[in-house]
Amino acid sequence: MTRFQRGKLLVGGTIMLAVAGVMLFLPNVTYNLIMLFLGLGFLVSAVSMLWYYFTMARYMVGGKMTLYKGIIFADFALLTLSLTDVPRLYILLYLAVIHGFSGIIEILRAREARLNGTKRFKLKLIHGIVNVVIALSCIIFVKNTNTAVFIYGIGLVYSALCKITTAFRRTTFIYIQ
Amino acid sequence: MQEDFHYYATYCAAYLAGYSHEESLEIAYSAQFVDLCSRTFLSKIGAPLNAATTQLQLEMMDARTDIIGLQDITRIWAAFHFLPQDLYAQKPRRSKRYMQKYRLICGPNGDLLAKTVENARGKSLQHVGIAMHVLADTWAHRYFAGTPSLVINNTEHDFVELLDVDGEQVERPVKFRHSPTAADDLENGIYTNSLFQGNENSIMNLGHGRAGHFPDYSFAKYRYMPAWGDYQEIEKDNPADYEKAFAQMVYAMKFLRGELEPGASSAGVENICSGRGAEVRGAAGEGERIGSYSCIQGARCVFFRTGKYDEEVLDKYGARIREILTKRQLIASDDWKRFGEELSGHTVEDFDIEKYQEQYVNATKDGKDKTFIGKFIRGAISQKGMVTEEIHKSGNMHAGFSKLKRVRALG
Repeated sequence: MTRFQRGKLLVGGTIMLAVAGVMLFLPNVTYNLIMLFLGLGFLVSAVSMLWYYFTMARYMVGGKMTLYKGIIFADFALLTLSLTDVPRLYILLYLAVIHGFSGIIEILRAREARLNGTKRFKLKLIHGIVNVVIALSCIIFVKNTNTAVFIYGIGLVYSALCKITTAFRRTTFIYIQ
Repeated sequence: MQEDFHYYATYCAAYLAGYSHEESLEIAYSAQFVDLCSRTFLSKIGAPLNAATTQLQLEMMDARTDIIGLQDITRIWAAFHFLPQDLYAQKPRRSKRYMQKYRLICGPNGDLLAKTVENARGKSLQHVGIAMHVLADTWAHRYFAGTPSLVINNTEHDFVELLDVDGEQVERPVKFRHSPTAADDLENGIYTNSLFQGNENSIMNLGHGRAGHFPDYSFAKYRYMPAWGDYQEIEKDNPADYEKAFAQMVYAMKFLRGELEPGASSAGVENICSGRGAEVRGAAGEGERIGSYSCIQGARCVFFRTGKYDEEVLDKYGARIREILTKRQLIASDDWKRFGEELSGHTVEDFDIEKYQEQYVNATKDGKDKTFIGKFIRGAISQKGMVTEEIHKSGNMHAGFSKLKRVRALG
């Protein structure tokens, strides 16, 4: 990684940690913030797709599809940002499905890895179990609508820590001659 | 390519290049082992994980596609399976970002191939086997890149197989399906491929995944429109390419045995290096390298010439080789095995992944490097580092950085 790439990861991770802190300590205020993030997420995807089209995909056979997808995502972004009141229940169900699905997949992969003889399957298994627990929490605490905020916040903390750790990882490949 | 070519055909090529039966088996074993030496395997035997030469499907599904993940994937797949043909290729009106991927497209007879063969000179038989795997794959995997890339590796529906029916060439559309457990249906032209993913860096867009195993079959002749090809169709003739791969392996192994010393008509180019880089300028002709290379001062360097094939072998065994290559079958191991046994008069044992595991596991810490797998690991790290370094030197960050540590060769 270049110094710029490391710096980008570090700054991104720190900002995410700060946002997660705000979310976890001020759950009532931050519900709308989640909607804002979802909308911004779509917007960022739209912009990056359009950027990808103009720098890469326009040289590719069938690359026009990326342009159309970028425009559709921009529409989604505008729609999401214009929504002011979505029942919190839907957000929790959405989180439950996402986490439940990824959890089961992780557990199955950990099992497959163990069957292949590797000793490095435990972290994957723990990830899977944590995801399933989060999914169950979403369902169990469905009446407590701040649950979504906490889960979202914890997810952000995790991603931020991953980014910061990655920024300090040794990435040079040592070779022999 | 599959086990039939990497193991059995490599055995035949090594034997024809002058290696003994035992040596040929070791080379062939190492060539095939490149397709199996994953991190999962290395973790199982307690070996260094950075020596991985392949990734299992399970590992790929978990692979990260951030910058570090991509560099790791590219180091493995570009170094061992999709050796870039021209790291300095030019294409007008393209962005830098696009060109960095475009320059990783695999193809035969590139500078990196010469360096791969030169890197194996004077090294172990395991290192020779690794080089032969890489060489053979440059023919099978040409036009695809060893890095996840939609804009390079995607294939569209315009994909036809060219069949010889009663002496006439007939076109038949290739049907792709995403059913990992189903075997390819040669009869009806139905092959398994990876899912379409619109994400540039999705693992589904690695190498020839979008064309499934089809490019790995020696009998395959096909025409398609590569994503990078400006809407121009490409015709790929695997039997002809695989024949060249075989003849080039024989030539390369003769070079590695020192049988093509300068003075012979097809010799490598010798040079005493100044330490500031050496310029190699061969006689005009296909595949000659012209360029400068960094070397160790005062060292005697012999450069491998690309674009050369062992014509003698083709004259003598060409018909037999073509017969095996053009036969429509899922795997040609039995035919290559029979050919190998006829050549050497010895039984060619089947590949067994566990053959050398115990030797490595039971070796002392200091003795591990001297075991079969230990020597393979050294060869793999050397090859991976060399390719990483060359990609980085070309200004391309897709394989990351590498740092050289010189150690005494084990031979």
